[in-house]
Parts: sequence; C-alpha cells; structure tokens
Amino acid sequence: MAINREQALAATLVGASARVDVSVAPRFAVGDRIRVRNINPRGHTRMPRYLRECVGIVERDYGVFAFPDTHAHGGGETPQHVYSVKFSAKEVWGREGGERDFLVVDVWDDYMDPAS
Amino acid sequence: MNGVHDLGGLDGMGSIVVEQDEPVFHAEWERRVFGMFLPIFACGYYNIDELRHAIERMGAQAYLNTSYYEHWLHAFETLLVEKGVITAQELAERRAAVAKGAA
Repeated sequence: MAINREQALAATLVGASARVDVSVAPRFAVGDRIRVRNINPRGHTRMPRYLRECVGIVERDYGVFAFPDTHAHGGGETPQHVYSVKFSAKEVWGREGGERDFLVVDVWDDYMDPAS
Repeated sequence: MNGVHDLGGLDGMGSIVVEQDEPVFHAEWERRVFGMFLPIFACGYYNIDELRHAIERMGAQAYLNTSYYEHWLHAFETLLVEKGVITAQELAERRAAVAKGAA
C-alpha cells in the first residue's frame, strides 16, 4: 500500500486515531466507582504503574478503541471502551498528594474492575 | 512489570527544560526520521502499539541516554529487521557506510 502526498499531509497534520468502528458494550458508565487492576504484564501496556489498585470515578466514555496490550503483540485489536477516569492525588500518591489535586487518566475497560 | 519508560511519579530525573522558540527539529536527521514514520506505517509493517513497544524494549540505559527521535529510529530498525524487510547485516553495513560519510 502506498500513500500519496495528500494522505501523508492529512495524517501528519491531524494524526491517526486508534478508534475502532465496531459496537461493543461498555462495562462502565459515567459516575461509576472503579478500581484499577494490579496488572504487571511483561509486554506493552498503556496502564501507568502508579495507578495500580487506585480507585477513581468514570468521568467520560470516549468510545471504542484498540487495546494496546494485545494490539502490540499480534493479538488483534480486542476493541473496547476507553474512559476518562478521575483519581484524587491522595488516592494515587498517598498523604503527599495535594488536597485539591486530581489526575484524569485515559483507562481501557480491561484495566478496571467495579469498586465496591 | 515496571518499565523505565513509565516515568510518572519517578523522582530524580531533573527538571523539564522548556526551550524559548523551540524549533520543530533540532537537526536535519530528526526531520528525516520523522518523515520515515508514515511510509513505514502505511506499508503495514507496524501499528502504533508495536512501535511504542519496540521503543520500550530498548533497554533502560539506552532509553534514558537517547533522544526522542533516536527512540523512533531504534524502533524502525528493530521492527523492520524483525518483520524481514531488511536484514541485521544490511543495517550494519549501512551504519558503517554512514559512519564513513555516506549520505
């Protein structure tokens, strides 16, 4: 597959999305309390290590995207929802976290469980 | 596992340098590496997650001692050899020629 000048220019200026155009049921809804799984894969992941076991609130559902952990290793796109999840700095950094600070992180469906 | 690229919350990395009037590229070779990204992608030799993982596989010392576009170049070389597009010997010969002044 070759690309022409116009296609190259468009991709360079606006980038390419990992969005996948299939319908997949979301496991979470805006407002849900979630806990990030304690995962430590040997391969690729987009789950930052500082989020392991942290509890946050789903703020937004971005839609369906390829799952990096399988997509990086010939395992297919494993399409699933990605959410914007808000974590308090205290939850992530413990007592050193700022009282009024929050982290908002993009988290894939397979990185999370419901938090009780 | 904990990868060296996963820097969030890691102390001791120094302050972030903010350049005044930062140029898009700091050297001509960076422009060329940037230009390689799209054609290789369009030929189907990697997806974005394979590319990121190839950078993460550099090894901790090499990762921290090299710049952003060196990471890209390393990933292109790694994946093109692994996918059989070029051979490790061709890469070594080309490196040697460039070191001797080939364009």
